[in-house]
Amino acid sequence: MSEKETRDPATGKALAWGWGLLAVSLPLGLTLEALHALKVSSYLSSPMRRELWTLAHAHGNLLGILCLAFAAVGLRTLPDAASRGSVSLWLRLGAVIMPLGFFAGGILNYEGDPSLGILLVPAGAICLLYALGRAGLSAWRVAGS
Amino acid sequence: MSTGRAQRVFLLLALFLTAPLTVGLCLSFAPDPEAIAAAKPLIHREEGNVGSETCRPCHLEQHASWKKTYHRTMTQRAHPETVVGAFDGQTVRYMGKEARPFQRDGRFYMTIPAEEGSREAEVVLAVGSRRYQQYFEQVAVADGHIYRRLPVLWHIGWERWLHMNTVFLGPDDADWDAHATRWNDNCIFCHNTAPRPGIEQGYAFDSHVAELGIACESCHGPGEAHVAAQRNPGTRYGYHLSGEVADDIVNPERQDQAEAVSACGQCHGQRVPIEDELIVDWMHTGPTYRSGDDLLDHVRPVTRDLPPPKTARQDLFSQRFWSDGTPRLSAYEFQGVIESPCYKQGPMTCGWCHSMHGGDPKGMIYESMRGNRACVQCHQDIGADVAGHTMHAADSSGSQCLDCHMPKIVYGILETHRSHLIEVPDPARDAEQGRPNACTMCHLNRSPLWAAEEMQRLWGDAYRRPGYRQDKAPLEMSDAVASLLTGDPVQRAVYASAAGRAGRKLEDPGQIHATLAVTLGDGWPSVRSFAQRSLATYDDLPTELRETVAEWDHTLAEERGAMARAILDYLNRQGVSEVPTYLTDDQRLLALLELQEGRIISIGE
Repeated sequence: MSEKETRDPATGKALAWGWGLLAVSLPLGLTLEALHALKVSSYLSSPMRRELWTLAHAHGNLLGILCLAFAAVGLRTLPDAASRGSVSLWLRLGAVIMPLGFFAGGILNYEGDPSLGILLVPAGAICLLYALGRAGLSAWRVAGS
Repeated sequence: MSTGRAQRVFLLLALFLTAPLTVGLCLSFAPDPEAIAAAKPLIHREEGNVGSETCRPCHLEQHASWKKTYHRTMTQRAHPETVVGAFDGQTVRYMGKEARPFQRDGRFYMTIPAEEGSREAEVVLAVGSRRYQQYFEQVAVADGHIYRRLPVLWHIGWERWLHMNTVFLGPDDADWDAHATRWNDNCIFCHNTAPRPGIEQGYAFDSHVAELGIACESCHGPGEAHVAAQRNPGTRYGYHLSGEVADDIVNPERQDQAEAVSACGQCHGQRVPIEDELIVDWMHTGPTYRSGDDLLDHVRPVTRDLPPPKTARQDLFSQRFWSDGTPRLSAYEFQGVIESPCYKQGPMTCGWCHSMHGGDPKGMIYESMRGNRACVQCHQDIGADVAGHTMHAADSSGSQCLDCHMPKIVYGILETHRSHLIEVPDPARDAEQGRPNACTMCHLNRSPLWAAEEMQRLWGDAYRRPGYRQDKAPLEMSDAVASLLTGDPVQRAVYASAAGRAGRKLEDPGQIHATLAVTLGDGWPSVRSFAQRSLATYDDLPTELRETVAEWDHTLAEERGAMARAILDYLNRQGVSEVPTYLTDDQRLLALLELQEGRIISIGE
């Protein structure tokens, strides 16, 4: 990654947030494994909680990597600084909100349904879709010019 | 380290610790399924019981297979997902009175007869899961509350309501409360896990169970010590790597023979405490047997010769067995197994045929074990030439090991079941002891004399001719016909059921048709039910007749005589069957029905 990319506010923030997400999500995976090893019943006896927290772990890591990918190619695909900044913001918001929603959905869940924290997931998904749409349109324009 | 770098390291460490700390914090106040299950009404966690939710995380497959069983759903709280009966407001009538099961606001009720008019009873517990579901209301008593059985049940297979009086081995009876038993000191014992009736002097009821239905700890014993030890991954991997087996939990399959059959026998073998005085403790804290023990160290199995309680009918226990002591009701399988040569002289346990975590939940058995494999897995020499052993064609029912050695001579829940006392058929013994005989349950027109002569012809002089029939009917008469006309209620039920079996042999179908028609007039509704089902299986009868029989409501006691007469007349008029002359005369028919042996068999459920 060039110095230009790290100095650009949009890609620079995506870079920091990407590593930050990985720094949280990777230890989450370790934590979940520890819960298995120690047979912590309040985790293992709730299939819903297990599924949601596993999804939180997976999405946190993947979206962290997506942020890093944006940091790497953002300048080339989005030459307009305003668009780049907007995409970076919505991408970072979505990347944090979506795994957070999965995690929150598994905290106060009861039997077959997740808790209301799960509503953060569609909110995060909308942020990500918006970011993806803007990035896609911009990349299309760049490719056409 | 510069301030900026220290800040970055601190930030990174904080990020790393975010997930573990958040998870720990969340789990400290998140709902715990185990705690939720333990906190429900009726549930206790005494004596190291932990509940099946605790077993699931480690034993996912076993938990899933158990979840498919009828054991799990044997007792359930009443709610829309567990109640299978049609609470649709339709009226259920029996012997001049009526009940009306209905729903209101998602809850289940029955309007039932009361001393003055009728009353509403709310269903709170549902007991039974495969063949029928019974319903219980909660009734406040002086100190606590009890659960009392309601008078009609839902037959799951037939999708209809039945009055309790029509499913036991008793006659038509207008007493709607004849079977209004109490869950707290009856059903609780065998339809739940780790029952504690909680009955104290003064009739205070505080009943609890570790789990409603038959769950893990019924067979594996209390799991608390196992859970505590195995929570440590080092302990678990130590066992995995060493191949050793943890001794902190019971696996019946690894126990010795007596202990293994005890796990099933604790329920599938009616029993009383080993000492009479212990009944007080049973009613307070439950039976003393725990899985892994030898059941006979804790109980006396109910047998024909066991004296009943002083306050009970003196034939209470003896009637549950054929005259030679062979069990003839379900829930006595343990008594049959431990008297079988395969158990006494061989290694057989319940697990040789049945499987708790595989196969068909109906019977908890793999399909192959319903056939000859059950026997030839040990008797391999016979398996090599089955027809040579049976003297019957290899593909006939006469070459089915179970039909001869475990015939369906046991009554329970409106079906006949295989005897679990594995033995050799003996026509002389059976005629003299008033037992149905495996040979004549298939060869329906044949007599005990014929069966004995065939046994002598095929297997030698070890078999003798019977000297008499216990019911005094002529020895030359068809065993099935004689039993249906003059036998006691279990004899009649067994032969009425056998008459509908696949593979039956009929030299004179008319005789059986006519006798089954007479049995439609039987004074015992459960016996009528077998005759009705069997008669409807005869393809040689006109469709119109079979449909009339199949659609008839056998619980209508007031119609039974007319129904029997109508079917006999039809057979006679149409000439589709040659009706024996003793059945064509009204007076003689009524006299025969009066002669039927009328003892009431107390099933004890």
